[in-house]
Amino acid sequence: MSALLEQLAPEAALAEDRYADIRRRAHQRLMQHGFPDLKTEAWKYTSLRLLEKRELGSGQGESAGAPEALPFAADVIHFDGGVLRNPPAELPTGVRLEPLDPAELVNVDYGDRAGAMAWLNLARFEQAWRLVIESTLERPLVLALTMPAGFATAVHPRLRIDVATGAEAVLIEQQHDEGAGLVNIVEDIELQRGARLRHVIHRRNAESIWVQRTRVSVSADADYRCHALELAGRLVRQDLAVHLLEQGANGEIDGVAFIDSGQHVDWHTAIDHEVGHTTSREAFRIMADGSGVGVFNGRIHIQRGADDSHSDLNTANLLLSDKARINIKPELEIYAEEVTASHGATIGQLEDSALFYLRTRGLPTEDAMALLKFGFAAAPLETAEPEVVRNWLIEELQAVL
Amino acid sequence: MNQTAQQVEKVIQQRYKAGFYTDIESDRMRAGLDEEVIAMISAKKDEPEWLLEWRLKAFHHWQTMVGPNWAHLNLPPIDFQKIHYYSAPKQKDRPKSLDEVDPKLLETFDKLGVPLHERARLAGVAVDAVFDSVSVGTTFQKELKEAGVIFCSFSEAVQDHPDLVREYLGSVVPYTDNYFAALNSAVFSDGSFVYIPRDTRCPMELSTYFRINARDTGQFERTLIVAEPGSHVSYLEGCTAPMRDENQLHAAVVELVALKKAQIKYSTVQNWYPGDENGKGGIYNFVTKRGDCREDDSRISWTQVETGSAITWKYPSCVLRGDRSAGEFYSVALTHNHQQADTGTKMIHLGKNTTSKVISKGISAGKSNNSYRGLVRMARRADNARNYTQCDSLLIGKTCGAHTFPYIESSNASAKIEHEATTSRIGEDQLFYCRARGLDEEDAVAMIVDGFCKEVFKELPMEFAVEAKALLEISLEGAVG
Repeated sequence: MSALLEQLAPEAALAEDRYADIRRRAHQRLMQHGFPDLKTEAWKYTSLRLLEKRELGSGQGESAGAPEALPFAADVIHFDGGVLRNPPAELPTGVRLEPLDPAELVNVDYGDRAGAMAWLNLARFEQAWRLVIESTLERPLVLALTMPAGFATAVHPRLRIDVATGAEAVLIEQQHDEGAGLVNIVEDIELQRGARLRHVIHRRNAESIWVQRTRVSVSADADYRCHALELAGRLVRQDLAVHLLEQGANGEIDGVAFIDSGQHVDWHTAIDHEVGHTTSREAFRIMADGSGVGVFNGRIHIQRGADDSHSDLNTANLLLSDKARINIKPELEIYAEEVTASHGATIGQLEDSALFYLRTRGLPTEDAMALLKFGFAAAPLETAEPEVVRNWLIEELQAVL
Repeated sequence: MNQTAQQVEKVIQQRYKAGFYTDIESDRMRAGLDEEVIAMISAKKDEPEWLLEWRLKAFHHWQTMVGPNWAHLNLPPIDFQKIHYYSAPKQKDRPKSLDEVDPKLLETFDKLGVPLHERARLAGVAVDAVFDSVSVGTTFQKELKEAGVIFCSFSEAVQDHPDLVREYLGSVVPYTDNYFAALNSAVFSDGSFVYIPRDTRCPMELSTYFRINARDTGQFERTLIVAEPGSHVSYLEGCTAPMRDENQLHAAVVELVALKKAQIKYSTVQNWYPGDENGKGGIYNFVTKRGDCREDDSRISWTQVETGSAITWKYPSCVLRGDRSAGEFYSVALTHNHQQADTGTKMIHLGKNTTSKVISKGISAGKSNNSYRGLVRMARRADNARNYTQCDSLLIGKTCGAHTFPYIESSNASAKIEHEATTSRIGEDQLFYCRARGLDEEDAVAMIVDGFCKEVFKELPMEFAVEAKALLEISLEGAVG
C-alpha cells in the first residue's frame, strides 16, 4: 500500500495555496495511518486493492459535457469533471456559493486508517466550496457531478453545505460517471435550527472507484431526509453519518441499491443520537444480481444521556443470482435509558408463491420478476418529496429493471 | 433516579454467594509461561509424546500472535508471565473413587450445591468436578460405562482413550484458531471428555463443574464431546470462583462433534466472580466454544446463562457442515456494576437445507456494557438454508450500555436470513400493572425479567432452569433502586 500512497498522494504534488498547511497536515496523517485493508473493521467487506491496480494519471480531467436533463424545473450547479469550471452566472435567490474558508478545515479529524480516503481528500483537493442555502428554495437545487468516458485520473471534490435557520430545500446530487478513475468526495452538511433538507442522491457509475463521505449535522427541530438511488458501478463506497445534535432533530435515510455483475457497492450509514428527544428512521434495500456484491452497514448510536431517543432501522435484501453476495451489519450501540431502538434485517430471494401468483394472472416470468423486483426496490423511494422528484427516481429505477 | 431504576439498583446489590475460598494445600507450578512449564504440565499428566508436541506447536504459534482488540471491551493488558498455569489440590495418589477424595474438596462442592456424593444419587446427574487445574472426581462412571458412554476427566481420557482424543482434539477448534485458543492448547490442564457411542441416548444428564480456587492462577480447561451417529447427549456446565481483588484468567476451549443424526445439547450457567461494585477483581472469561455438525441431520444446541465474570468474551458457534443439520443458540447475558460482556454466536451454514435459530437476551444494569456479536454466514453451497435471529436488550439504569453487532453474510440466492433486534427499558406501565396486582417492585422486576428471558430458560434442563432463574434474581437484586 505504500506504493499506492506515493501514487495517490505524492508529497511534491501538494498545491501551494492558502490551503497548503492543511494539505500537508492531512498528508502526514495519511502517511502515518496508511490505507485500510480487510482487517480494518469499517472496510471488512470492501477492498481498495483495485486502486493499486489502476494507473491513475494526474491533473484535471476533461469536461463531460452537460449533465442529463431532468424532467422537472430545477437550478443546476455543475461540477464538470469533478470541478466547478465556471461558477454559475446566476444562482437562485437565497443561495450563495463561495470558496471554503481554510479556518474551517484546520481542526478536522478523520481518525485512523478507516478515514484514510477522507485524509486523502484533504491532502489532495483542488477546490473546496461552501454552499449556503439562506432561505426556502422554490425549486430543487441540483448538484450535478459528471465524469466523462475518458476519465482516468483522481478527483477529490470537497463541499460544505449550510442550510440556514428555518430554510427548506430539496437538494439533488446527480452523479454520473462514465470513466475509470477515482472520485473521492467529502461533503459536510449542516442544518441549522428548524431547517428542512430533502437530500436526494442519484448515482450511476461505470468503471470508476467512487468513494464519498457525507457528514450531516442536524440542529434543534431540524429535519434531514435522504433518499438514495444507487445504480452502482465498479466500486462504490458511501459513508453517510447523520448527527442529531439538539432536541427535536430528526434524521431519516431511505435508499435502494441495484447491483449487477462486476459491481461492488458498500453503504455505511451511521445515525448518532447525541442528545435526547431525537428521532431517526432508516430503510435500506439492496438487490444483487449477476456476480454483484452488496454491503450495508447501518449503525444506530444513542449516546449517554440521550434519553427519550427513538430509532428504527430496517434493511431488506434480495439475492437474485447464485453468484451474487450480500453482507450486512445492522448495529445498535445504546448508552441511554428510556430509549426505543430496533432493527430488522433480512436477506432472501423473490418469493416463488408471488411469482406463481403473477404468472397465473397471465404475466410472462420475466415480466413477473421485473414487477416483483420493482415493487421491492421502489418502496424506499415512495416517501421522496416532492412528487416530481419521486416520480423521476421511480422512473429511473424502472429504466434499469 | 426514577423508581424503576432505584428498584433495580436495590436488587443488584446482593453479594456473590460462591465467593468463599477453600484453604487446601496445593501443588502449584511456578508462575510464567515457557516451554519448560508446558513440558512440566504434560509430564505431570504423564502425557504421550504427540500431545506434548501439539502443545508446543500451539505455544510457538501463540507467540507469533497478538491479542485481539476488536471486541467491544475495555481490557487492561494481561501479564501472561505472572500467571500460574497449574495448581492442584495435594493428594498422594489419584483417588480411585469419591470416597478417597479429600473431604475438604467434597465440602466445597457441597457448599456450591454440586452433588458429588450421596446427593448425587438423588439428583440423577453425573458430575465431573474440576478444581483449579484438575478433575477431583466423576460420578456415576459405572452406570455410564454400562451404557457404553465415556464420561471422564480429560487427563483420564488421554490415558484410557488416546486414539479418540487424538482423532478429535483440535478438529473443531484448531490451535491456530485464535489467541486464547492457542494459549489454551498450549497449557490446558484438565476438563471433561464425553463419548456417546452409536445409537445411544445418554441415560442421564452429564455435568461438569469448574471451580477456580487458588490465587494468581488461570484455569485452562478443555472439553471435548463426541456424539457418534444416532446418539443423544445433554451436557451441563457450571462455574464459580472466590471473591478476590485481582483479576483471574479463564480461557477454555469446548469442542463438540456431532456425527450423522446425533444431537448434542450443551447448557451453561456461568457464574464466575464478577468483581465488586467498583469493578475491582473478577474473572476474565475468554472462551472458545464451537460445535461441528459434521454429518447430515445432526443438531447442536447451545444454551447459556451468563451472569458472572468481569469480562466475558464468548461466542458458542455451530459449523453446519452436514446437510439438514441444525444449530441453535439461546442466551441470557446479564451484566451489572462494571461487568462487560461481548457474547453471541456464529452460525456457519455450509450444508444444504441447514437451519439455525438464535435467541439472545441481554440485560444491562449499573455501569456495565453488554454486547451481542454474532455472525450468520450462508456459504455458496448452502441451498435453502434458513436462519432466524432475535436479539433483545433490556436497559436498567442510565449508565449502562447495550449493543448489537450482527454480521450477516449470504452467498446463496436460495438461503433466507431474518434478523431482528430491539433495545428498550422496563416500562413504567408494565411495572405499574404488576404493582397494581399487589406485587412489590422487586418481585415485579424479577417477574418482568423472567418473562423477558423465558424463551431461553425453557431450553434449559429442569435443574438448571431453576438455578438460572434464582441466579438472575440474585444478580438483579438492587438493580431497581
